[in-house]
Amino acid sequence: MTFSTMLSTMADGMGKTLMIFFFTLIGSLPLGMIVALLRKSRFKIVRNIISVYISIMRGTPLMLQLLAWYFGPFYLFGWNIGHWRFPALIIGFVANYAAYFAEIYRGGIESIPAGQYEAAEVLGYTKTQTFMRIILPQVIKIIMPSVTNEVITLVKDTSLAFTLAYAEVFSLAKQISASQSSFMPFLIAGVFYFVANYVVEFIMTRIEKSMDYYK
Amino acid sequence: MILEMNNIEKHFGELEVLKDISFNVDSGEVVSIIGPSGSGKSTLLRCATFLETIDGGEIIYMGEKAAHTDESGNAVYVSPQEMRKFRGYCGLVFQQFNLFPHYSILKNITDAPMIVQGRSKEEAEETAMELLGKMGIADKANAYPYQLSGGQQQRVAIARALAMKPEILFFDEPTSALDPELTGEVLKVIRQLADEKMTMVVVTHEMPFAKAVSNRVLFMDGGLIVEQGDPIKVFEDPQEERTKQFLRVFER
Repeated sequence: MTFSTMLSTMADGMGKTLMIFFFTLIGSLPLGMIVALLRKSRFKIVRNIISVYISIMRGTPLMLQLLAWYFGPFYLFGWNIGHWRFPALIIGFVANYAAYFAEIYRGGIESIPAGQYEAAEVLGYTKTQTFMRIILPQVIKIIMPSVTNEVITLVKDTSLAFTLAYAEVFSLAKQISASQSSFMPFLIAGVFYFVANYVVEFIMTRIEKSMDYYK
Repeated sequence: MILEMNNIEKHFGELEVLKDISFNVDSGEVVSIIGPSGSGKSTLLRCATFLETIDGGEIIYMGEKAAHTDESGNAVYVSPQEMRKFRGYCGLVFQQFNLFPHYSILKNITDAPMIVQGRSKEEAEETAMELLGKMGIADKANAYPYQLSGGQQQRVAIARALAMKPEILFFDEPTSALDPELTGEVLKVIRQLADEKMTMVVVTHEMPFAKAVSNRVLFMDGGLIVEQGDPIKVFEDPQEERTKQFLRVFER
């Protein structure tokens, strides 16, 4: 196998890695907010369910969760899981990351002083207006560094997809390395991850800077 | 009568914070509420501005009932829709200003009139600039709250409340979070509003200010109005022993 075929095969894999990455973000960033808000629900039963969910997501390995999402339907219901690999992966990642994002959001929401809610209430803002206009923009600024951290972790965590033999960049690196007895695929994969995270860092820093106009 | 509060009761758990408080505020009147901390002054203000719900009594704005006690002794408020109207009658200036840090000074003042009251941007900005001019900080319109001194921030908070065109404006210790040299500029603004016959209720520890500016002083202690009346009379010839005791501390 020439270096260039190796590189192009792995670039394909990187494309799949980025698919997992983007689908996970698109799903988990908003879902995390819903989870965070449900965690403060009026109903105790809802709060309890959410806190159990977060405990499980944080308390068990993501690798195990991915296996459960993929094989669970077969063992539990005897379903054919032939086309279930990618959906299972995304559901697994989204469910897991939503729990982490929810905790980040919760921390951010709780750090907003009560006076902000009271000022909005006296001025006549509705609850939704208060949250969307007054609270959320401040929360986003506060949580940005933690979100950056989590997003960078996600780039690297996509490699866990190899447990479901999904052909993203890390799975391919393992395969090619074994078949070609070469360490080169791992080096290439390392460079890919590094570059991806470099871009993430760059973008997140820009976003953080764009919110520097107030304290 | 702008505001009538009759037989107001409020407790936090076992603690009775307000015990059968009644007081009225007439149009154009400036009422100061003084008293030791924990006397219920702030709670009374928070009940009047609907940040806290009362446990008994009635709140009447402009002759319309916002809350009353039903036959079974529970305080009942009007529907949330109607409540919006009542919130529009009153404004509140906080001890800690509570400006929105992510909004410019101008936006702090124009956002609620536009979003809550549906005013046009032009109208809201015109009102805001007028108010900022009156507060002596028109040059700060595009600044952000963190760039202003405490005294300036509190004047913005006053402008923000006034932009809603309330019938009555409440102040909860408006100068307590300020350095002594900055209290003057805030008190000056309140005094100016009093001259313009703005109806106001001010919880304060600034006795000379209360004496000079208000039409009436309420002395509260232990969740009760101990004494009230003309400021000169209350300050110079208090009738109740508890009032005398409290004012003596300030004379020293």
